[in-house]
Amino acid sequence: MKLRTALPAAALLAIAAGLAQAQTAAPAAAPATPSAPPPWQQGMTPELAKANLHPLVGHVTGRPASDLPIKNLKVPAGFKVEVWVDGIPDARSLTLGDKGTVFVGNRLQNNVYAVTEKDGKREAKVILKDLNAPNGVLFHKGTLFVAERERILRYDGIEDNLASPPAPKVVIDGLPQQPGHFWKVLAMGPDGKLYFNIGSPQNITMPSYIQAAIMRVDPNTGVLETYSTGIRNSVGMDFDPRTKKLWFTSNARDWLGEDSPADILSVVSFKGEQHGFPYCHQGDMLDPIYGKGRTCAEFTPPVHKLGPHIAPLGMRFYTGNMFPASYKNTMLIAQHGSWNKTVKHGYNVIHVTLDAKGKVAKSEPFLEGFLTDDKADPPMWGRPVDVMQMKDGSVLVSDDYNGIIYRVSYKK
Amino acid sequence: MQVRPTQSSGNSAAASAAAFFLLLPLLLLAPARPALADAAAGLQKAQACLACHGEGGRSTNPLYPVLAGQPRQFLVSALFAFREGKRKSEQMAPFAANLTNADLNDLAAYFSTQSATGALRKSSAEVAAAGRALTEKNNCTSCHGPALYGQQHIPRLAGQHMEYLKAQLTGFRASTRADIDGNMTSAAQVLTPQDIEVLADYLSGLGAP
Repeated sequence: MKLRTALPAAALLAIAAGLAQAQTAAPAAAPATPSAPPPWQQGMTPELAKANLHPLVGHVTGRPASDLPIKNLKVPAGFKVEVWVDGIPDARSLTLGDKGTVFVGNRLQNNVYAVTEKDGKREAKVILKDLNAPNGVLFHKGTLFVAERERILRYDGIEDNLASPPAPKVVIDGLPQQPGHFWKVLAMGPDGKLYFNIGSPQNITMPSYIQAAIMRVDPNTGVLETYSTGIRNSVGMDFDPRTKKLWFTSNARDWLGEDSPADILSVVSFKGEQHGFPYCHQGDMLDPIYGKGRTCAEFTPPVHKLGPHIAPLGMRFYTGNMFPASYKNTMLIAQHGSWNKTVKHGYNVIHVTLDAKGKVAKSEPFLEGFLTDDKADPPMWGRPVDVMQMKDGSVLVSDDYNGIIYRVSYKK
Repeated sequence: MQVRPTQSSGNSAAASAAAFFLLLPLLLLAPARPALADAAAGLQKAQACLACHGEGGRSTNPLYPVLAGQPRQFLVSALFAFREGKRKSEQMAPFAANLTNADLNDLAAYFSTQSATGALRKSSAEVAAAGRALTEKNNCTSCHGPALYGQQHIPRLAGQHMEYLKAQLTGFRASTRADIDGNMTSAAQVLTPQDIEVLADYLSGLGAP
């Protein structure tokens, strides 16, 4: 502790007491008006309230890898997992600069980090601060795009100016102010437009025309379009390198039961496609409130059910040459959950293979070992958020619970 | 983040010396490799805290929260919020401003391992019944635990000072009290000033170690 104070304790007490009085003498609150419960709690049944299920929050200072059971992590035969860097609290989305800089976003904190290597030493530094939930980061042709809570910024030429980044330009501002699911991810389309999510503002509610959707914006003109709707909250999306179609993961609503509805993996086939939320979940389960008078046949069903409450976040196609050939053009998906379930599962990265028709042919574990006790609270010691391929074909995985990034590599 | 070996808290030499001898047995037992958090180091660093928060963090002044027995992750999160200026307090800001991550973790390790105070007041039967009903209606136990002892990043409410609880709930309701993930700000929106009074009274009167 670097605190140096010369004030005697009595003086401190007197000052503190005076301040405390000032604090408690705040004006009386206005009469209460009925309001909604917290976003995550909406739709909770009385029985489930007794289960004491609650969202998890990461360690705000991060935790050093040396204090964690890293050796419990498991990858398939021939693969290797190691700590790539620690000390990035709330490490969320990852993106790779042309010159090898890895940029890392925050969700509950306010920073964007840059990880660079100099003289064989890896270093993580805050390069952008005082942002508002800068969860989404995407590097494209020299520009770093950052998706905040209500706007998207661009930092041109940033990789040459990491020590003093340029002032940002606004791509779009004034996105909905909402209490829940305000964190965004970005994907660059083959059309040069930025694709991003605007989540459902609550667990279950009627979204506005611009919510529970995947949007796209032209980064040069700021023109915004709704691309696809009925998507409760997608925190992972990527374009299939073969078909150029947008695939996405999405998190289903809570409080409908231990084993349903499933979170989903799906694809957008045309602009304006509706995927069901809030009327129909997992393609075949009408919502008890919003499903009245509707049928699931009105909406596009998911390609694949990923499991209840498992919270699929980062999803990318693997296009590198380091992994075995069977990995080419398959998907890696990070599971950030579950919490809304008494017996927990997930907290893995999975490997999903599509067949020629675009259906899921195989889903298997890729990175496991964070889950320690499925009935404990917390049940795990780390939570995968994003997956990103490096130039050499290895894959980085971020963990916002500990502020660590892991590297998975393969050697024949 | 690496924890450095213990260093002086900067208080008077006498206090440091006293702390050193009190802690000597603990220091001798300390593992060779620095761990994430060190309660013994925390006690040394906590000397400046004790003037307001009381011996062992068992505050006897209704304006200052009891820190003893609070979950470790909550204490780190709270100190972090003060240091980063997210949680505003003219009292806490200067104390938190220069704390390193290692300091936060050591302080939290110390206060979290001190035994909590019991009930701080005797709530009336009416308040106890109404308070319990409010905690159920507002799902307080979902996060704060069945006995409201807190867990992980979520604070212990049982046996906390009433005035402090009132100030926090009033702040959450006014959206002026920083909130790690927004949940308490949302949860407090439905509370009336009367609800807050009853809840604070009831929670402060919850006993047991």
